[in-house]
Amino acid sequence: MKAYQPKRHYRWHPGFVVWVLHRLSGLGLAGYLILHIWVLSHLMRGEAEFKRVMDTFESPLIRLMEIGLLGLVLFHGLNGIRIVLMDYGPMANKESYVKYLAVTFIAIVVLFLIGGAAMLQTLLIN
Amino acid sequence: MGKVTFTILRFDPEKDKKPHYQDYEVEIRRPGMMVLDGLNQIRWEQDGTLAYRRSCREGVCGSDALNINGVNRLGCITHLEDLKTPVVIQPLPSMPLIKDLIVDLNDFQDKFFLCKPFLIPKKPLPDLEQLQSPEDRRKLDGLYECILCASCSSSCPSYWADPEYLGPSALLNIWRFVVDSRDVGADERLQLLNDRHGVWRCHTILNCIEACPKGLNPTQAIGGLKKALVSAKF
Ligand code: SF4
Repeated sequence: MKAYQPKRHYRWHPGFVVWVLHRLSGLGLAGYLILHIWVLSHLMRGEAEFKRVMDTFESPLIRLMEIGLLGLVLFHGLNGIRIVLMDYGPMANKESYVKYLAVTFIAIVVLFLIGGAAMLQTLLIN
Repeated sequence: MGKVTFTILRFDPEKDKKPHYQDYEVEIRRPGMMVLDGLNQIRWEQDGTLAYRRSCREGVCGSDALNINGVNRLGCITHLEDLKTPVVIQPLPSMPLIKDLIVDLNDFQDKFFLCKPFLIPKKPLPDLEQLQSPEDRRKLDGLYECILCASCSSSCPSYWADPEYLGPSALLNIWRFVVDSRDVGADERLQLLNDRHGVWRCHTILNCIEACPKGLNPTQAIGGLKKALVSAKF
């Protein structure tokens, strides 16, 4: 018989949790990229058309979502660097990998707070 | 000294359509009892139909790898005292189920043999033994100790998702020969790995290093293989 359906699912180790988050953030970024190209494609239909589309993106809600986008970029980028270092350096290690994860997360949060605060400021001023 | 409840997956292919779970009470009779002692107590005193693999009962043969409370471990070296109750015991995840806690390891072993798990020596063979420097010998530490228990491969989400993926255990065993200074088969071995079901399927989720009962590090071994493949190309 094929593999059984577990009663107790495999424990979510930290490495697995960040892997899931990495995939999700990747999907989010891919979605953004498609949207981005779609918006830019309006350039081919002339300035007025492009401006009309851009105006719909000027709402404060979208601006707030841009701060979220910064979070996605930071997470995906910095965690990606961690993964590369794990592949090609000695960082895949039972004793220390959670420490490297913590350092990565601290860097993400610090950069997010700095960048997010700046973005929020411009949002509030305008 | 009290009792511990075991919740065990039961499946008899001749009677059952689907697996179900059955509870047993295990009596703690002495300090330091292992999960395997509990399984033996159940089988010998309560229910002779419970099927599981075991052999050396000291973490060397690799027969009794099980999923215990959601993590793959060896039953014979996992202390009951360290576990939350009830102790949920399931067969290794993602492997085809044969009966109760016994899974089919054929595919796992085929993948191991695919990697030519033997020394491919330089020719002509020397008259006496092939020497190796102590430094080169040290490179094999943390690799040769693998007991092929399948805890790592069956803990790996990539292995669950891709039945063709060689898995951490086979890859660790390939690396063991690739780094061996006496072996000349690195090229033919590396060729096996350079596709999507080889090393590139590893996403460094690290479940394998959490699972390995011998404290080995398959992820780092796979990292070594990735580096070897990249440097062979450039
Ligand atoms: S690497 Fe560890 S977990 Fe994997 S098969 Fe070998 S001993 Fe078992």
